Amino acid sequence: MMRTILTQGLFLSAAFSLAGCVQVAAPDKPIEINLNINIKQEVVVRLQQDVRNLIENNPGVF
Amino acid sequence: MTRKSRMIFAAAIGAAMLIGGASVAFAIQDTSASLRASGEAGEQADGYLGIVGSGSAALRAQVDAVNIQRRAYYTDLAAKRGARIEEVAATTACELLRSKVGAGQYYRLPGDVWRRRAAGAAIPLPGYCG
Repeated sequence: MMRTILTQGLFLSAAFSLAGCVQVAAPDKPIEINLNINIKQEVVVRLQQDVRNLIENNPGVF
Repeated sequence: MTRKSRMIFAAAIGAAMLIGGASVAFAIQDTSASLRASGEAGEQADGYLGIVGSGSAALRAQVDAVNIQRRAYYTDLAAKRGARIEEVAATTACELLRSKVGAGQYYRLPGDVWRRRAAGAAIPLPGYCG
């Protein structure tokens, strides 16, 4: 009786520990990170010259 | 120490400081360009450098340092022009993708994976870049 309970307990704990495992499968395609960019073209046009100067004046950063 | 030897000593220190300063300036000067050229980092459409592979701790530190400076410049310009930081950043990305990503170097567009710029071909820019 005691032995049966012990065996069952072992099985149960084995089952639980398996369930606790996180299954990691290798992705079948490259990881895609969505860069959400919400901007209007007119804003780009308005900022363009300032941005060009910024890049030109800070060559290490850009 | 004679007066002459003191002068030589001072001149040597001055020269060492000049050379040291120049090499530090050079290191800062080409950080972004050399990160792009290494193939371990690339330009993203959000205006920041990204790490292409897993990236070492040292690489991450370099990329973070550049991005922190970029963020500061974007914030400053956004405040001056009454724009959002993200707008300044995205506009900068348009310019960087257009003129700074060389052939064989990496870039990433919205909702896309890392791609390498093909030799002799321009990067297909997002529509908002104009």
